[in-house]
Amino acid sequence: MTCDDARAHLPDFLTGELSAKAKSSVDAHLAACGACAEEFHKVSETWMKLGVLPVEQPSAALRDRFYTMLEAYKEGLDARTADRKAEKAFSIREFFSWKRPAFRFAAAAALLFVGLAGGLFVGRSGAFNEKFARLERQVDDMRQTTALSLLRQPSSSERLLGVSYSEQMRAPGEQTLTALFRILDTDPSVNVRLAVVDALFLFAKDNRVKDGLVASLGRQESPLVQVALIDLLTEAREQKAVDALKALIADDKIHPDVREKAKQGVKNLTS
Amino acid sequence: MTDHQIMSDVRNGYVEKLAILFERHYVSLFNYFLRLTGNREVSEDLVQDVFTRILKYRATYQGEDRYIVWMFKIARNAHIDALRRRKEALPLDEQLAEPADAEPLPEDRLEREQDSALVSKALGLLPPRKQEILVLSRFQHMKYREIAELLDCPVGTVKAMIHRAVAELGEIYAALTREKCHDM
Ligand SMILES: [Zn+2]
Repeated sequence: MTCDDARAHLPDFLTGELSAKAKSSVDAHLAACGACAEEFHKVSETWMKLGVLPVEQPSAALRDRFYTMLEAYKEGLDARTADRKAEKAFSIREFFSWKRPAFRFAAAAALLFVGLAGGLFVGRSGAFNEKFARLERQVDDMRQTTALSLLRQPSSSERLLGVSYSEQMRAPGEQTLTALFRILDTDPSVNVRLAVVDALFLFAKDNRVKDGLVASLGRQESPLVQVALIDLLTEAREQKAVDALKALIADDKIHPDVREKAKQGVKNLTS
Repeated sequence: MTDHQIMSDVRNGYVEKLAILFERHYVSLFNYFLRLTGNREVSEDLVQDVFTRILKYRATYQGEDRYIVWMFKIARNAHIDALRRRKEALPLDEQLAEPADAEPLPEDRLEREQDSALVSKALGLLPPRKQEILVLSRFQHMKYREIAELLDCPVGTVKAMIHRAVAELGEIYAALTREKCHDM
């Protein structure tokens, strides 16, 4: 390898995209050539140095301005509808005023609904109810599709967003429930699993949900998730949970706090 | 859901979904502009400008490009237009200056902040094109192939420019450090 060849690889060397084969040729050249070794060293040092620059956060006003602009654009699109008063009750900006990322994501989902439903709060014609029901179904379908795709993402914040989409359905479909239960049992992030417990709480009247939760209790290893599940099942007064709780109590590997919680649960459910 | 799928929905009339793209990218865009302009206020205006343009030109989104490349094309145009409008941006020192009533910083943090101020200053002294390529690669983690697509030039040119840009930045930084030692 010539000096020019070696230096042509420098940019990929910096971003770590050098193939193993190229890297070993470059390493061999650097071991033999002082001039190139120095150049690589100097340039890498500057490259690393750039890492001291922190990621800066913009002011809150930026988000505020964006949502104002988006709202105004929406209104422009819907300009044909005469009276906007009723819609004003839903200030999109207020939805987004919280800092919590999970809430922001949930709010993004809410925004979809507000946007679509917006036109309906004006001029209630005879067809209103039918139109509203159709729209609700459309939004539910959209949430279902979005939720399913988000629940499969590698990043835990995207999966959290997926959970919050699911939460806003009136009745989750078979596929969404399967995905939620898979996450409840296997997700590497405890936060995501806890979010699923919260989401399923809303659908706890559904027998499929109840059975799934009882079954999952025996599979959980995180005490936090176990406690959340026990709370949920006790609150839902799910009698089928009694056996699963007794099994937990008998398990000697279980965290003492969880065992205590399970005992209380059994007491509540059987009293 | 990928950026591309969301942007296709925005193009097709679900403009509310732009909120998702905004949440994903506004911090990154803000930092891109901040590195180039050195000014927080200008950078926030530019981020707003990008999303306004995305709405305005949503019908032109084809999805042949990756969404990120398309978005940065818009970002570059916004930046170029802004440069045309205001010839002089605020000097870099201004936004890095400590607020007047700031608490005295602990020794190590002071050193770190001075260092990052120096790096940032050095970056600001690079010629614009090299500065831009470096910011895209180092801070936006764009692949050389994507940068080439964005700047409409061969990948080889991008790589050669990266090498020269980093080497030049190193020299500017060393010169600034010497200057600083001289001052003390
Ligand atoms: Zn050499």
